Amino acid sequence: MAVILVVEDDVFTRTIAELMIQDWGHDTLSAGDVDEALSLLRSPQHIDALFTDIYLQTAVLGGCDLAHQAIKLRPNLRVLYTTGNSVTDKMKALFVGGTHFLGKPYTPYQLQDSVKDLLAA
Amino acid sequence: MSDIAPRTKTVSDIAASDIVETVPSALIILDRDLNITSANRAFYQTFRTSADETEGCHIYDLGNRQWDIPALRTLLESVIPHRASVEGFEVEHDFPTIGRRTMLVNARKIFRPGDHDGFILLAIEDVSEERAARKESKRNWQLTQSIVDTIRDPLVVLEQDMTIVTASKAFLTIFGITEAETHGRRVSELGQHQWDVPALRHLMEKVLTENKPIESFEIEDNFPGLGRRVFNLNARKISQPGNHSHRMLLVFEDITDRKQRERDAQMLTNEISHRIKNNLQVIVGLIAFEARSTAQPCVQGYKAMQARIGAIAQLYDLISHSSRGRTIAVDAYLREIAKTMSASLLGNISGIKIEVKAEALDIDPDRAVPFGLLVNELTTNAIKHAFPDGTGRVMLCVERVGDQIELTVVDDGVGMKDQDSAKVPEKRGSDYVAIFVRQLGGTIVPSGSEGKGTTVRIRLPLLLVPSGDADRVAA
Repeated sequence: MAVILVVEDDVFTRTIAELMIQDWGHDTLSAGDVDEALSLLRSPQHIDALFTDIYLQTAVLGGCDLAHQAIKLRPNLRVLYTTGNSVTDKMKALFVGGTHFLGKPYTPYQLQDSVKDLLAA
Repeated sequence: MSDIAPRTKTVSDIAASDIVETVPSALIILDRDLNITSANRAFYQTFRTSADETEGCHIYDLGNRQWDIPALRTLLESVIPHRASVEGFEVEHDFPTIGRRTMLVNARKIFRPGDHDGFILLAIEDVSEERAARKESKRNWQLTQSIVDTIRDPLVVLEQDMTIVTASKAFLTIFGITEAETHGRRVSELGQHQWDVPALRHLMEKVLTENKPIESFEIEDNFPGLGRRVFNLNARKISQPGNHSHRMLLVFEDITDRKQRERDAQMLTNEISHRIKNNLQVIVGLIAFEARSTAQPCVQGYKAMQARIGAIAQLYDLISHSSRGRTIAVDAYLREIAKTMSASLLGNISGIKIEVKAEALDIDPDRAVPFGLLVNELTTNAIKHAFPDGTGRVMLCVERVGDQIELTVVDDGVGMKDQDSAKVPEKRGSDYVAIFVRQLGGTIVPSGSEGKGTTVRIRLPLLLVPSGDADRVAA
């Protein structure tokens, strides 16, 4: 079982995502913005994967910035991005190499598949 | 010696009168009293007179005194006496016999040995047509320039070597340069060399050599005194009948405001799309939350509901990718749907393939979502039920049939053997099919057994419009 850090500014969406992930036997950590996420990533807490929204209310493309900083702190961290926006090539260029993407709205089964692929990678 | 062979005739042997007769200019010779001693054939032809009427006649009395011209008097009485020759003296006069003419007169005093009085040789060239052509050309040029100056978009006319022949007032005003600064210079040399773009240079070369116009070449840059601007460049070859040299008309359309409006609209669309999808995510989350505490037989229904919400969200994306302004291209839209469903339902290793065969038709964007959901339902049904062995083909077809459009979803699977299948929960998809068809004002066409597989045919009236007939706006 893995520990997944869920970063999402919408509390309801974040909570439901965490419940789903926990239903599949994983542990979750929760953050509503980049700063909260970074303090968890800087802590000694074990984290296997980061599941982050790209557009965070406090920072446009905040999820992209977060992922880059997260990889610097934890080079083996796996990253799954999500957003309700269309993902442009410009945005893709900001992704950390070897990461995954899941568009919104995602169903529990799509999220489950994505998490499976993420952890298997 | 009588046997001398005849000598070859040289230029000096040719009589002066022969030369005079072949010269195209009208020639007359006057004595010191301005009486005409002789004239050549060109003179008689040009002025429609004869030797009898001319020779011995005083120049001013010739042809009912039509040569009594003040300008000619000035030449003969005031200029010639003081100079050995005069060239290019222009005389414009209304001749009773030949009408208004412009004559270029060259005059030369000729003296024979021992003759101190001498003669005056007048060569008269009729330059009326040349002058008229020059006037016409000047008038045309002024007219062209005034038309050019009234066009609001800045424009320049370029020579074959890409140097500027003329620039419109709008060009000079907008770019803050003078005519002298543009004339003879290349467009690429103007300003801060903003127009020195390899792709533009390449296109401009093709305008004249291959007669390929430039349509809407966009350049965005900082222009001195103007700030950040976006210009659309259009160019085409201009030719004059009978003239082998060509020029290029290059028009600069300032689309900065339009571009900004488009960007604002795009940003707004993205923002709305982002919010819609986030809200749909909340709805999917609500359903997921309910499903956690729901008995297993009902979970399938929740799953299907979530999948349809996901399909609606995907359709919005596909619609934006298939947009042709105010309409949606059905062929592109179907291909996007097929691609997305293949990726989400089948994956790369699936033995089931979704193919598209569609005419170039447009669809009203208001009906694009139910149309997409209809295709989604029919395709999902085929994938779910037609291929128990995991291999097969689903074909999505759209064609125009009279005033209607026929959507056909065909699979080469096992076919619908059990007619009671409508009773099983998965068959609810067909209910949705009926609802979407009704929403689109269409009908389901009964399809007989056509061998292997299942065929669903749906006629949709007034839903689609032929490609090209629709009112479109630039994307």
